[in-house]
Amino acid sequence: MRCGEFHTTYASDMGIFDTRRARWLLLVFIVALFAIPFTATSYWLDVTNRAAIAVIAATGLNILTGFTGQISLGNAAFLAVGAYATAYLGNKGVPFLIACPASGIIAALAGMVFGIPSLRLKGLYLAMATLAAHFIVEFTTVHWEAVTGGVSGTSVPSPRILGYEFSDDRRLFFLIVPVCVATLYFARNLFRTRVGKAFVAIRDQDISAEVMGVEVFRYKLLSFAVSSFYVGVAGSLLAYQARIISPENFPLGVAIDHLGMIIIGGLGSVLGSILGALFLTLLPEILRIVTSALSGTFPDLIRLFTPLRIGMFGLTIVLFLVFEPDGLADLWRRIRNWFRLYPFSY
Amino acid sequence: MKLMTSALLALCVAGSAQAQQEIKVGGIFDLTGITSDVGKPFAQGVRDGVIWTNENGGINGKKIHLFDVDYGYKIPEAVAAYKRMVGDDKVIMINGWGTGDTEGLKAQVNADKVPYISASFSGHLTDPSKTPYNFFVAPSYSDQLRAWLHWVKDDWKDKSRNPKVAFFYGDNAYGKAPIEAGRRYCKDIGVDLVDEEIVPGAFQDATSQLLNMKQKGADYGYINVTTTGVSIILRDAKKLGLNTKFGSNPYGFSEALPQVAKEAAEGVTGVVPHVPFGENVPGMKRLIDFHKKHHPDDTHDAMYVRGWCYVLVWSEALRRADKAGQLSGDGVKAALETFRDFDMGGLTNPITYTSTDHRPETKTAIYQIKGGKLVKVAEYDMPRKPEWLGL
Amino acid sequence: MEFFLQLALNGLVVGSIYSLVALGFVIIFKSSGILNFAQGEFLLLGAYVFLAVTSQANVPVLPALVLTFLFATLLGLALERVVLRPLIGEPIISVIMVTLGLSGVLRAIVQGIWGTDTRPVQAVFSLEPIQIGPLPVARGYLYSAAGVAVLLVLLTLFFKYARPGIAMRATADSQQVALSMGISVRRIFALSWSIAAVVSAAGGILLATMRGGVDGSLAVLGLKVLPVVIVGGLDSVGGAILGGLLVGVLENLAGGYLDPLFGGGVKEVAPFVALVLILMVRPYGLFGKVRIERV
Repeated sequence: MRCGEFHTTYASDMGIFDTRRARWLLLVFIVALFAIPFTATSYWLDVTNRAAIAVIAATGLNILTGFTGQISLGNAAFLAVGAYATAYLGNKGVPFLIACPASGIIAALAGMVFGIPSLRLKGLYLAMATLAAHFIVEFTTVHWEAVTGGVSGTSVPSPRILGYEFSDDRRLFFLIVPVCVATLYFARNLFRTRVGKAFVAIRDQDISAEVMGVEVFRYKLLSFAVSSFYVGVAGSLLAYQARIISPENFPLGVAIDHLGMIIIGGLGSVLGSILGALFLTLLPEILRIVTSALSGTFPDLIRLFTPLRIGMFGLTIVLFLVFEPDGLADLWRRIRNWFRLYPFSY
Repeated sequence: MKLMTSALLALCVAGSAQAQQEIKVGGIFDLTGITSDVGKPFAQGVRDGVIWTNENGGINGKKIHLFDVDYGYKIPEAVAAYKRMVGDDKVIMINGWGTGDTEGLKAQVNADKVPYISASFSGHLTDPSKTPYNFFVAPSYSDQLRAWLHWVKDDWKDKSRNPKVAFFYGDNAYGKAPIEAGRRYCKDIGVDLVDEEIVPGAFQDATSQLLNMKQKGADYGYINVTTTGVSIILRDAKKLGLNTKFGSNPYGFSEALPQVAKEAAEGVTGVVPHVPFGENVPGMKRLIDFHKKHHPDDTHDAMYVRGWCYVLVWSEALRRADKAGQLSGDGVKAALETFRDFDMGGLTNPITYTSTDHRPETKTAIYQIKGGKLVKVAEYDMPRKPEWLGL
Repeated sequence: MEFFLQLALNGLVVGSIYSLVALGFVIIFKSSGILNFAQGEFLLLGAYVFLAVTSQANVPVLPALVLTFLFATLLGLALERVVLRPLIGEPIISVIMVTLGLSGVLRAIVQGIWGTDTRPVQAVFSLEPIQIGPLPVARGYLYSAAGVAVLLVLLTLFFKYARPGIAMRATADSQQVALSMGISVRRIFALSWSIAAVVSAAGGILLATMRGGVDGSLAVLGLKVLPVVIVGGLDSVGGAILGGLLVGVLENLAGGYLDPLFGGGVKEVAPFVALVLILMVRPYGLFGKVRIERV
């Protein structure tokens, strides 16, 4: 039974895993994760893929909002930029290994453009500016028909690596989940570096940070760029997974969903992004199973499914914010500590 | 926890009880989205049609199990529902709804060989060389618009010039479906298309669009949205004191329109491929009997009748496929393509599908609202021109 | 010229409804510093409750109005107590998310109880337009513009001379000082939420009677109102009014002149472009209080 942390080197103090057991557990988890495609039905694979994409997008948003304190309602817009960039490049024959990072970079550039207002705006006002950015991008996706196909949308070819085609959800799993794991690892590492610490300093007290020599505007833009890169990659994977994208895939509700994910999961924590994204992707599925199981006895329940889903989402957010403002990550941390210190968990 | 266990148990029991003799059909409906005003009565019509079929012998003794889903008119939801129905529930065919999602899914439907009978009458779904598994039960939107334009030409009494027409449509695949066909037909019959106005998916106010139309001086306007949108346009037009004559597509025009738009709906015309509820045709009897038996207090409209017609068509196809021993996607498609003037007792015109032409019927009735009631004023038969296939 | 005037006039009267909703927004922000993303849903609930009371319970118009306002007051009080009170002191993003979550819950309740059909509302105004010069104007719009004007006068007087009004302004300036002066800040919050809910309910009723029907899309106004309050200034009552009129006119002019060029949709995006421009040039809006903070 451990009762504290005792690191003898700087490296182990800064490490991601504080015990060897944690590292092994993660390895076991990843192996179990890769067993999923061989056991799940195609629908649940679709859900898993969507959840993994949501994790990437939520992590991106968490970098911007949770770690750097810049509120952004523009996530759906950057998702759209990444997705349409991939659709366009993919239809022109650009292979996956180039199209995906390229979409991320294009989204990062867009992010920097919309991050410029952050020089002068904070908090509420920045949220409004990003909201306006969302509507402007939405307008562009609907009207720039040459690139986006307008309201009818555009189809996306399957990704290919060295001739192997990832044509269905089972194969896409082996593409999406490794990318997800890689981005999570990168994010976790980011906050051990100078750049990451600059982000956190800006969130905590930006005036002091400027005084201390952190170039606030430059790091804010960088934060927008990194965050949008993540969201752009998520958008790219979404395009490959959904096969058909249209402006309807990116309503404001998506941005609000992502914000909900990081709040429920826990702001400023990579684990929080994972938990929040999984929770909010699986919630409608569980709801659907329950309503269809009960619809034999209550046939009218089908009609209530959509309002129930919207209501549950809203209610979950409200309840979490009122009772558990630090999110699932904090809850997990407390549970873990309880077990770790058992029987002296008080 | 208890709820989950009992729910799971209920599911297992229900599943095992209905096991063998069952035909699985998927139903993707809009009960809560922007077209739910017409989606709900249609869905009710389909459900009731299925119950009636199961009560009256089913498909050669087998019962239909309808997998009922509400996708809220959001294409990603429709795609997810489709994947679930085809991958997990293993349905044999799907009764779909909206133009955007049906057109979006056509490649997938083709690859999976799943007959997809949509409530969308988009002309883009009529060419079997492009969309072999797509069907619908009505004249196409394009044919209906052509019929209405024909009515305009007949209604226009001033010989000195051509009538001027404006199109109002929503900024989505459904809104845009018949427009190109309409543009070309206007040129063909000598009607001047002077204005096209776009309205967003969900809107409160059409005043600036109507003012634009007034500037262009349109005499007639065709509105291609759903009932809610039509009533907003009609009321705003009345408020602006416009005397343009309006017409609506089959999803904007039903008994519900005069109820919502009230006096603004007087004189409005519309295309009506499925008769209003209670119309005096022989096929209406079973609907009325069912209604008396199951929900005598509800009101129904032409959309409800439409849902019934759909079930009558595809249940007949299932019957034929089953008799031929080919109860599969391809079998159902082949069965549909054997339909020659399949008659449902006047609920809609007789239906014909062939392997080279999926246009089911070409006669369109034009109704007008007189005194708050729907009255038939004309009927036009569009020729089966090959260059119109798939438009 | 007539086209321009017609558009402008239409914009003014549509803008008066925006002003009404923006007022509710501003009142809440002014006293408690919270941005209420659920304002559109207050509108929606007000309209639906009015509908239920008049058509299903068959209560005549005037008592129905009173009942609806009573309901709105209770709703405002309940929400403030249950949801917003625990969130005092939390970071602003949590507050924004709570109101967003609340808007979802309220919308779901409305959809669950009343469904998504458009329900007809009995006509309070006739549809025949009144002629002002060469331009026809809908009667309903005129009444709403008159209603907004009356409300503006009432509210300005309230904030200037009435004790609770002055107390609200004091609380908006500094909660601590207000508390030390003996003002019950809790009661002020409750009061501001109730007033905002009532004002929105009035807006919802007006909108419903003008459109002739109630459906879920009324809530979209909640988002439209954001450009209005930013343009006018988040904490200015006069700014909300002026902002509403400006945005209404801008929207209609943009729609009328630019829609044909872009193929539609400009009407919806124009207020947001204006939003971005104002945020760049004058973030506190036309009449908002300026807080200088340069980094």
